[in-house]
Amino acid sequence: MRRYAVQRSLTVIPVLLGVSVLVFSFIHLIPGDPALTMLGERATPEKVAEVRAHLGLDRPLWQQYGIYVGKVVRGDLGVSIVRGDPVLTDLLRRFPATVELATAAIVLAIALGIPIGVASAVWRNSIVDSLARLWALTGVSMPIFWLGLMLAWFFGVKLRVLPTGFRLGTGTAFAPWTNFVILDAALQGNWPVLADALRHLVLPALALATIPLAIIARMTRASLLEVLSREYIRTAEAKGLSQTAVVLRHALWNALLPVLTVVGLQVGQLLAGAILTETIFSWPGIGLWVYESIEARDYAIVQGASLFIAAIVVVVNLATDLLYALVDPRIKYD
Amino acid sequence: MRLSGLALLVAVGFHVMTGPAIAQTFVFGAQGEPVQLDPAVITDGISSRITRQIFDGLVRYRGSTTEVEPALAEKWEVSRDGRVWTFELRHNVKFHDGTPLDAAAVVWNFERWWKSNHAQHENQVKAGQTFEYWEAQFGGFDDKSIVSKVEAVGSHTVRITLKDPQAPFLANLAMFVFDVASPKAVEKWGLEFGKHPVGTGAFQFVEWKPNQEVILEANPGYWGVKPRVKRVVVRNIKDNSQRLGALKAGEIHGMEGLNPDDVAVVKSDPSLQLLLRPTNTTGYIAFNYKVKEFQDKRVRQAFAHAINKKAIVDALYGGTGLVATQFQPPSLWGYNRELKDFEYGPARARELLRQAGFAQGLSEITGEDGKKEPLIFWYMSRSRPYFPNPKEIAEAMAADLAKAGITTQLQTTEWAVYLDKRKNGQLPLYMLGWTGDNGDPDNFLCYFFCQPGAAREGFYANTALADLLLRAQKLTIQAERARLYRQAEQMLHDDVGRLFIANNQPPLALSKRAKGHVPHPTGSEYFNTVEVQ
Repeated sequence: MRRYAVQRSLTVIPVLLGVSVLVFSFIHLIPGDPALTMLGERATPEKVAEVRAHLGLDRPLWQQYGIYVGKVVRGDLGVSIVRGDPVLTDLLRRFPATVELATAAIVLAIALGIPIGVASAVWRNSIVDSLARLWALTGVSMPIFWLGLMLAWFFGVKLRVLPTGFRLGTGTAFAPWTNFVILDAALQGNWPVLADALRHLVLPALALATIPLAIIARMTRASLLEVLSREYIRTAEAKGLSQTAVVLRHALWNALLPVLTVVGLQVGQLLAGAILTETIFSWPGIGLWVYESIEARDYAIVQGASLFIAAIVVVVNLATDLLYALVDPRIKYD
Repeated sequence: MRLSGLALLVAVGFHVMTGPAIAQTFVFGAQGEPVQLDPAVITDGISSRITRQIFDGLVRYRGSTTEVEPALAEKWEVSRDGRVWTFELRHNVKFHDGTPLDAAAVVWNFERWWKSNHAQHENQVKAGQTFEYWEAQFGGFDDKSIVSKVEAVGSHTVRITLKDPQAPFLANLAMFVFDVASPKAVEKWGLEFGKHPVGTGAFQFVEWKPNQEVILEANPGYWGVKPRVKRVVVRNIKDNSQRLGALKAGEIHGMEGLNPDDVAVVKSDPSLQLLLRPTNTTGYIAFNYKVKEFQDKRVRQAFAHAINKKAIVDALYGGTGLVATQFQPPSLWGYNRELKDFEYGPARARELLRQAGFAQGLSEITGEDGKKEPLIFWYMSRSRPYFPNPKEIAEAMAADLAKAGITTQLQTTEWAVYLDKRKNGQLPLYMLGWTGDNGDPDNFLCYFFCQPGAAREGFYANTALADLLLRAQKLTIQAERARLYRQAEQMLHDDVGRLFIANNQPPLALSKRAKGHVPHPTGSEYFNTVEVQ
């Protein structure tokens, strides 16, 4: 196990190197002179040359890459081209908002997705199953931005029961400690802010949870059906155990292994989905920040954030792989 | 302290229970995050809308016009030769940090903008910021600038000496970039001043929550019209539809950046009002004069008669567009009201083409080297206020041209490449436009036509026009200048130098509860006249 863990962990290095090459190439892959793009209609040749020099674009490519990697290794993701603030500082300040949203979404997806999948498998081909499957199919194919707009429109504009966006109400005076607003509000015992933060979280979390929820439900159903057809289940049934006991105690745990893989893979999807969800709901996390930076051609931020997100996905997938062994004692890596 | 904390808690609790409506606060939905709040180094509308509330300049634009009126300077005089300007400052004005606004403070600001060795200039440049508008409006820094001396000649008197008269001088000073900052605060915060702005404006800065909102508070000692609300919150809502949703839900009171299709939605909503900013933007089609066919004026006239501008404006501008007859938008004082535009007429266009020797129509062009190639009409890949739907507009124009026998192939490319090709004179026929900076006709006309034959302008060489514009730049009497600009527009029209298609009036949507908002062509409006009922 230890050897596997070490080997598996080492594979992360080439992946991250590949990612760094890709991320570094962004600035050069996009057509047009980035300096000119940034300056727009009012660009003068001197200004363009100045900006190019400032960005280091006048050096040979390999030098630019070397400098870039050297800085990244030292934890320097550069400074924002538009604002001049260090990318890493901004990244860390915004990250909690994204974690809060993504956690809420994944918890929601698991809490609803697994029961739906189980119900669907147990009452296979019933009306419950058909509805669940139809719903799962719709969920997977739903464009998040559209769903987000509809949710905001229905609950925010029509019913006016939930806010259409943001993390807290207008002008709320609140000094967070860690930038995890829900956690901070709870720790500070600031209940009105906590309630406000939760109200603001509902719609974006729901929008972001939709796709993983549907995938988890489908995966649970398929996996559970597969397990339920195994012989040991027949044995359990033959022993006269109740269906609840068979499903929950004997089948479900084994069926969850593929579901776990899916959940791990969903983290990448969640972070990608967060770009749309955060933009739609003005949620001040990394997604909105990346979106704004792409628009403003702030390459430093786009590069830094992409690298960071890629690193997270890689690490989460690694963790998922290692978790297998804990969940399923039959798996031995050697 | 304790009590106010409690009150705040109660207020927040109340807010949670009753929803977002808060009296005394004006909430504006912006299209994005401000870059920073130091007016001297920013160039974008999102940031400047906020700095306009915090700072004042020596002069400002009156109401929704681009005429200049007093602000921090109560009155001014200009010498006969137009080179020496003397400003009398308003007395008893204080910056939000309590320091007095006097001649020394104003001189300090000018030196910061102007002198590259000023400590608070140098540090910005080192950090990659530039005093871009100073450079553009006043000819550069240090000795390159048109400004030769700025001095305090009394406790509240500032004298500015120019090397040459500059006609748009006052209009330039009214721009948001030349708003006056507290020298003490700039020195205290240095590069961080843009996150801790201190001016003399109607509102003072309270807090900036990154990616969320900027909170301002009324300045009770304001010298001008006292603010009607206690607070202003500018929220960052990126998505246009979502911003409209927030407005309809009552979470914000006003917004900009409506999708053209949503203009009708706002008009039909009884709780909302639509305001239009006076137009300050013109979209055009430019010819490349290296193309042999375009050197014939009759061909250019054929284009002018072929395009049905009114139909395009009616169909594709969401009701906020205007047909352009000339380069300056009608809000500028150099606008020529007498100018008679080309009438739409495909038959007339065909006739002109026939006279020019293209009885069979025009589908190919001849380059400098005599090589023939298909006529490509380049359209923008990015939406701009003057062409909100560039592709649809280009398609409509191409269809109009086809009716007159001009066959074009539509093509576009990435925005940066487009601008680059345009700059190097590589586009045979293309669309682009301009949005004014300071409300002065010079800012529209001279940038494009003062350098005859420039590649950037498709090698259009009209020396008489350039001479006239340069002459107008040196005069200080507005009526005389206006006459020259009207003449310039007529010359441009007679020569069909370029085709002016449309002006746009960017729409603002406000709740009917918000009153007193005065839209301005430059987009930087003051919130002190706004009231929320």
